[in-house]
Amino acid sequence: MARATGFADRALDLVMALFEAPINAVERLIGKGGMPYVFLAPNLVLFGIFTFLPIAIAIGYAFTGGTELLISNRPFVGLDNFRKLMTCDSYLVPGSCEESLFWTAIWNTLWFVGFNVAATLLVALVTALILNRAIAARGFFRAMFFYPVLLSPVVIGLIWKWFLDRNGLLNVFLQMLGVPPEIFLLDVGWSRFFVVVVSVWFHMGFYTLILLAGLQAIPKDLYEAAAIDAATPSRTLFRITLPLLGPNLLVVLILLMIRSVQIFDEAWVLTNGGGPGTANTFLVQYIYQMAFAGDLRLFGLASAASVLMGLVLLVLTLAQLRLGKKVES
Amino acid sequence: MVIYREQAMGDLKLKNLNKSFGAVDVLHDVNLQIDNGEFVVFVGPSGCGKSTLLRIIAGLEDVTSGAIAIGGRDVSALSPAERKIAMVFQSYALYPHMSVRKNLAFGLENLKFKRAEIDARITEAARMLAIEPYLDRRPKQLSGGQRQRVAIGRAIVRDPDIFLFDEPLSNLDAALRVQTRAEITKLHREMQTTMIYVTHDQVEAMTMADKIVVLRAGRIEQVGTPLELFDHPRNLFVAGFLGSPRMNILKGRIVIGDDGGALVDVGYGTLLRSDVDPATVTSGQEVLAGVRPAHFGLSDGEGLPFEVQYHESLGTETYVYGNLQGQSEQVIVHQAGHFAPAPGAILKIVPLEGRLHVFDPASELALARAGHGRA
Repeated sequence: MARATGFADRALDLVMALFEAPINAVERLIGKGGMPYVFLAPNLVLFGIFTFLPIAIAIGYAFTGGTELLISNRPFVGLDNFRKLMTCDSYLVPGSCEESLFWTAIWNTLWFVGFNVAATLLVALVTALILNRAIAARGFFRAMFFYPVLLSPVVIGLIWKWFLDRNGLLNVFLQMLGVPPEIFLLDVGWSRFFVVVVSVWFHMGFYTLILLAGLQAIPKDLYEAAAIDAATPSRTLFRITLPLLGPNLLVVLILLMIRSVQIFDEAWVLTNGGGPGTANTFLVQYIYQMAFAGDLRLFGLASAASVLMGLVLLVLTLAQLRLGKKVES
Repeated sequence: MVIYREQAMGDLKLKNLNKSFGAVDVLHDVNLQIDNGEFVVFVGPSGCGKSTLLRIIAGLEDVTSGAIAIGGRDVSALSPAERKIAMVFQSYALYPHMSVRKNLAFGLENLKFKRAEIDARITEAARMLAIEPYLDRRPKQLSGGQRQRVAIGRAIVRDPDIFLFDEPLSNLDAALRVQTRAEITKLHREMQTTMIYVTHDQVEAMTMADKIVVLRAGRIEQVGTPLELFDHPRNLFVAGFLGSPRMNILKGRIVIGDDGGALVDVGYGTLLRSDVDPATVTSGQEVLAGVRPAHFGLSDGEGLPFEVQYHESLGTETYVYGNLQGQSEQVIVHQAGHFAPAPGAILKIVPLEGRLHVFDPASELALARAGHGRA
């Protein structure tokens, strides 16, 4: 081993000395092939306890009924929970379903996913295109658009709630302009609109960053070739930039869909628990309410709903992983 | 070629061109006239401004001051697309998501050409460059040489007044480079269109150019045909830059001979005959004498004592490395065919008739030749 010089090197030497003997002993015991698993073990244990085990428990609960917490006290009901969730005269009319709130939540979530994905993608793309140009204070703007990502969803929900309140900043502005005040969060249309606005504002910085990285990976001389090839700015955008950004756009699209389906905390805080009425009750909130917030603790129904949602997310995640590999290659 | 040129539009004039990036001046007062149909090579070491000059002609860089005229039209303020030029990039800059055919068609589509005309031009260019089999492939599926042809094809279909090449061969291997060099020369002969070609490779410059422009540190050092520059370099830089191995430089003094001619005394009792105009020099004036390795001959009698260190045999020719006796500067002597002097041997060498270049050590300029004025 090279002679240690700096403090970091000496510290490393110390750690090596401490661990070398036991690790060598383990390696003699299980062979070189097993060593990767030894190093992975601490992480795997944590993952197992806090991720895989809960998934298994939730799947188990999905097939049980009653309101007991301990699974040993819960009766096995087979597919009853799933049947209950899926029983509908028409899936398009939540009121005709046995679990009408579930279908209300599904439709709310679908609408949210549609608008949120489209709006976030568009805003992030336009922002990335602008930030990719040689504008003044580019670094400042890049940081500014990214900062909301660092905030807690609850903080985001609270800030916007104050902003949109009856006596909030927005109404103060509107009144200065002579526009009568509006209680935005008690209006179905406005509240849904602002849930999307807040979500776009919250998350766009992250997607902008991904798209910006993609834009910067496009060689500059392609744009010069296009300039010599007499391509107009719009043709350059649609024939050069967007096709070459395609893989990044796909990754962003799928990540956005996954995260949009999971909408909960900031919307829940912003809309006082999904209001007005059930206008902003989304799937995760439904699950939360069924399991923990209602008079009856319907763990089985909630688990069945989360298993269904998990399947959707699994499909999206697999798509994302495949595309991610494609982008890398 | 189907594309007939109606009139000569490919002449280029650069007038008092200056370019700076912030506080850094990259081009100083560049003046240059290029005639229609000429193959002009910009050559110089890295950072001499040759690529910047090409990009300014293309319109990819603005000028700080000065004017550019193509075909008598001032294009200084025009976009690249309006200048009727086409450029082949060092990286080829092919659109990776488009097939070869679409790469070729893109510029023509932008200019709103009719489909039939686009197809005709692509077919013709593909035939000239022998890239027909690859038209429906993506650039990624092509070899470096094939990509190079596609990049040239993309320029050809545009039927530009001027072709611009930015070190187009630097990404090819040696064999392919020689082959492509010949093909570009052939292309120029067929098309008779003005071509401007940037390279740092003096062999490319010497073999391809009608006219070479040597640049150093943002200034044009000399403009001329390859042999003009080789035979009569205007200054030490051009003398050293063109020709490989480099010209040997010896310190010496002017001696006016009995016949009134200017001779150069580099020591060792041997006076070297020069074509310097004796009226422009004084006896005893310090000079630098330049002799290319190939322009030293071996002598049985009088000559400079050349001490051999080692030699390189290339089969058809031999380079002998050594120094003049008692001096440390390396001197290289070229001999045709096989030649194997022993290390330490002393050879007598003399410059061939008319092959001595004489420079002023202060200005580094070549001294005026008798009957020629300054080179």
